[in-house]
Amino acid sequence: MQLSLRIALIVITVLYIFVVLRAIKNKKLQVSFSVFWIITGLILIVAIAIPNSIENISKMLGFEVSVNMIFCIAIFLSFYLVFNLNILISKENRKNTLLIQEISILKKKVEELEKKQGEIK
Amino acid sequence: MPKTLLIIPAYNEEENILNTCNKIKEFSNEIDFVVINDGSKDNTLKILQENNLNHINLINNLGIGGAVQTGYKYAYQNGYDIAIQFDGDGQHDVNYVPNICTPIIEGQANMVIGTRYLDKSASEFQSTFMRRFGSNIISLFIKVCTHKRITDPTSGFRAVDKNIIEEFAKEYPTEYPEPESTVCMLCKNYKIKEVPVSMNERQGGTSSIRFWKSADYMIKVVLAIIIDSINLKKKGRK
Repeated sequence: MQLSLRIALIVITVLYIFVVLRAIKNKKLQVSFSVFWIITGLILIVAIAIPNSIENISKMLGFEVSVNMIFCIAIFLSFYLVFNLNILISKENRKNTLLIQEISILKKKVEELEKKQGEIK
Repeated sequence: MPKTLLIIPAYNEEENILNTCNKIKEFSNEIDFVVINDGSKDNTLKILQENNLNHINLINNLGIGGAVQTGYKYAYQNGYDIAIQFDGDGQHDVNYVPNICTPIIEGQANMVIGTRYLDKSASEFQSTFMRRFGSNIISLFIKVCTHKRITDPTSGFRAVDKNIIEEFAKEYPTEYPEPESTVCMLCKNYKIKEVPVSMNERQGGTSSIRFWKSADYMIKVVLAIIIDSINLKKKGRK
């Protein structure tokens, strides 16, 4: 990898971490979710900064082409993330259903009470 | 007469809902009903309010399972002895309500399902071949998982007693409510009985199970049945 490309990639990754941090600051992202994104960013920076690091690791693990290792890791991580998100959505759905049901029943009770009160007056 | 509640889920049923409620009122004054308006986009809510029909208005659309569970919660909180699920689209006939309640009152069953297929002459509307085929497959899987035969597992016309009202208020399978809840109750060793009823063809609106969605529905229901039965059997052993 040429030095200029290396520097460009590092700059992009730093920018990416900055975006993540700003999202936390603006309360768009929960801190617990941000850990994943920050750690991937840091790992990327280290991998780009150390020459031949990716090639060496992929050879050590037995990948014939280092790009394969990158794809492999990327796909596994994406699967993991999507699955986790699915679980999260299911959980939120359950909570949402409970809330809608309870609020709707409460609203009915309040309306009935208001009606009764109106009749007394 | 035990305190009885008809739970009527309604989604975009402006054409039928008033008719259904009037028929219930004509039939008997002793039976209460509650319409669960599941976030309808048409005038269902307006009709319910104008005619002063007892209703709960869900503030957002939940789907049939979530709507029906709201009804069970209402039944539980108000101490009803029997809760009956009843469609708002005119498919179900209120004259069968006593038939469906009798086994519960006599203590023969905790849950009674109104079945279209038991007695051929009883039902003019036997539903389409595909629907029966689907029902049979679901039946088969219920039989394999629970060793009990339920002929019409997708029937939405069913009555439950106080114990099951409590169970459903706490935990109700909202995704595939009819077949899944049947399996859950069978696994918990509640007694389920089937009673022949006749159903009318839909007077309007569209069925929630559309043809092209059937295959998808079947696979998921079968999966849900298997998972539920494994889950509950494990719990039972503990």
